[in-house]
Amino acid sequence: MPTEFSKRRVVVTGRGMITSLGKDTEETFAKACRGASGIDFISSFETRGLPCRIGGEVKNIWLDEMQDTKAQRFYKFSSRGLRLMRKATLEAAEQACLDEIKDRGRIGVALGNHGENPSVEDIMFLHRFYHGDGTWNMNGLLKAGGYSALNFLKRKPDVGTSILSILFDCKGPNLSIVSACSAGAQAIGEAYRIIQEGKSDVMIAGGCESTLNFLGFVGFVLIKAMPEKYTTPQKASRPFDRKRNGFVMSEGAGTLILEDMEHARSRGVPILGELLGYGTSADAYRITDVHPKGLGATLAMRGALADASLIPEDIDYINAHGTSTIQNDATETLAIKEVFGTRARKIPVSSNKSMLGHTIAAAGAIECILTLVGIERSTILPTINYEFPDPKCDLDYVPNEARIKEHRRAISNSFGFGGQNACLCIGGFDG
Amino acid sequence: MQKIISEAAALEEVKKAIAETLTIDKESMGPESSVIKDLGAESLDFLDINYRLEQAFGVRMARHFILEHIEEMFGEGSAIDENGQLTDKAITLLKIRMGESLPEIHPGMDMDEVPTLITVQSLTRGVLDILDSLPEKCPACGNSAWKSENNVRIKCGSCGEYATFTNGDDLVKAWLTKIQEEKKIF
Repeated sequence: MPTEFSKRRVVVTGRGMITSLGKDTEETFAKACRGASGIDFISSFETRGLPCRIGGEVKNIWLDEMQDTKAQRFYKFSSRGLRLMRKATLEAAEQACLDEIKDRGRIGVALGNHGENPSVEDIMFLHRFYHGDGTWNMNGLLKAGGYSALNFLKRKPDVGTSILSILFDCKGPNLSIVSACSAGAQAIGEAYRIIQEGKSDVMIAGGCESTLNFLGFVGFVLIKAMPEKYTTPQKASRPFDRKRNGFVMSEGAGTLILEDMEHARSRGVPILGELLGYGTSADAYRITDVHPKGLGATLAMRGALADASLIPEDIDYINAHGTSTIQNDATETLAIKEVFGTRARKIPVSSNKSMLGHTIAAAGAIECILTLVGIERSTILPTINYEFPDPKCDLDYVPNEARIKEHRRAISNSFGFGGQNACLCIGGFDG
Repeated sequence: MQKIISEAAALEEVKKAIAETLTIDKESMGPESSVIKDLGAESLDFLDINYRLEQAFGVRMARHFILEHIEEMFGEGSAIDENGQLTDKAITLLKIRMGESLPEIHPGMDMDEVPTLITVQSLTRGVLDILDSLPEKCPACGNSAWKSENNVRIKCGSCGEYATFTNGDDLVKAWLTKIQEEKKIF
């Protein structure tokens, strides 16, 4: 019996994304360096009459619409979120030379996603056959062609993960993670564990989201989570600023190819960075309100540091969850101060959501990649729209302009609705 | 002033809505109970409570806190200062609205504390204010024959139409306009 279990090191060999700022990692990062905003008025559905009418949409021309024959077969089952994910994964897989790996049973998928909301048309169709008392005109429904099984499949998050494994021929562990804003980071964290423990050599890990449709949007309008006061769409996402008043909903996808370090070395592929630690926790407090002292966030950050065997002094940058809601940004600041103590004020903290908006299940993955690229290029991305300091948010938020600064280790926070938290500790690859 | 729905009946209905939302005993709350501090509500629960009240009374509750209306009507910074604290003018207004003697309303009060001021009584008052906007005559038939149904819904005794009321946000705005004219706070 082995007396000591030695965990394998997990590195990043591929990365890809599609966001409101750009069709891939390069374009997104370049625009983010300039402090650009991907937010605008929503064009994909009618928003007249709603108190919030903005979002971060991905341009349709950036979406390669599954032209190849293999992908085309799955198009009809695929949610828009999954189509975004496929695009991001193509970029990452190409970089990692994923198709050169022979043993496909050692490649897995961990995907954070929520499936697609039913469309208003779906609901109206069903309504025609509903008597209103719990009974249905089944004959009529069947005669009209029945309810679309394709749309049913689009709504199931597991189907997205399954399709991704088919498209990229990954026969290893297959996980669907459903945890709101922390899903992307949790997918990466869980994939990291799977490789660490030797259950797989390579994992496609990340998250995707596209809730910019009527039902997805109106739900968040009703709970007043999105900004209702903004001068221009580009100014609406303002994390840590005193005048922040909600998160801006966006769509997007982010994919990392995680790999056992020895496996990557034996293949001779470039190593882009290393995943050093993962912490996850729950507030176990309330459904939408975060814990006022940020206890869950504190647990997740401490967990990630401990997992990486690092101390607060080792961290050079914090990629914040920073949603631009009144609650999150204040409690996240509190939690950072709790974990990092006097050092908190010396660490640059910035929120990519100021530029990209909040891509929910994709956010953790996109932000993890932007953090990695930032380490590689000694660039700390800014928090834009930072104009009016809030006394409750008193850290160095890298206001408005990117900062050129060498840094080696960072943490990336993702704190979900309902208090589901994940924190990733990421570093440049030091060999 | 409508007296078709009594204050006691409205209070009962508000207690019922809170009790059902939070799955607590109606008897566990008094008029002065803070819905957040004493009864354990979270922000999401107010959506549910308001929805239940709207269904029960046929009204539309205010969607925005009074502070938001003050900021919108009298300019940014008029209710909340740069430290996230209530301005003296906002404190004055809150006292006029909620009671001079409330110890919870104090200078330097943080904006986060405002939701904790919502009590069973203040919600009831919100409902009664809306019910008081009942027009004298039924807009549908022109008769003045309002009556109550189950002590909560008001309908026309002549044509059977349910009454419609001014919505909660408009009432708050009208109240602020009136107080501003009287007291010239801003």
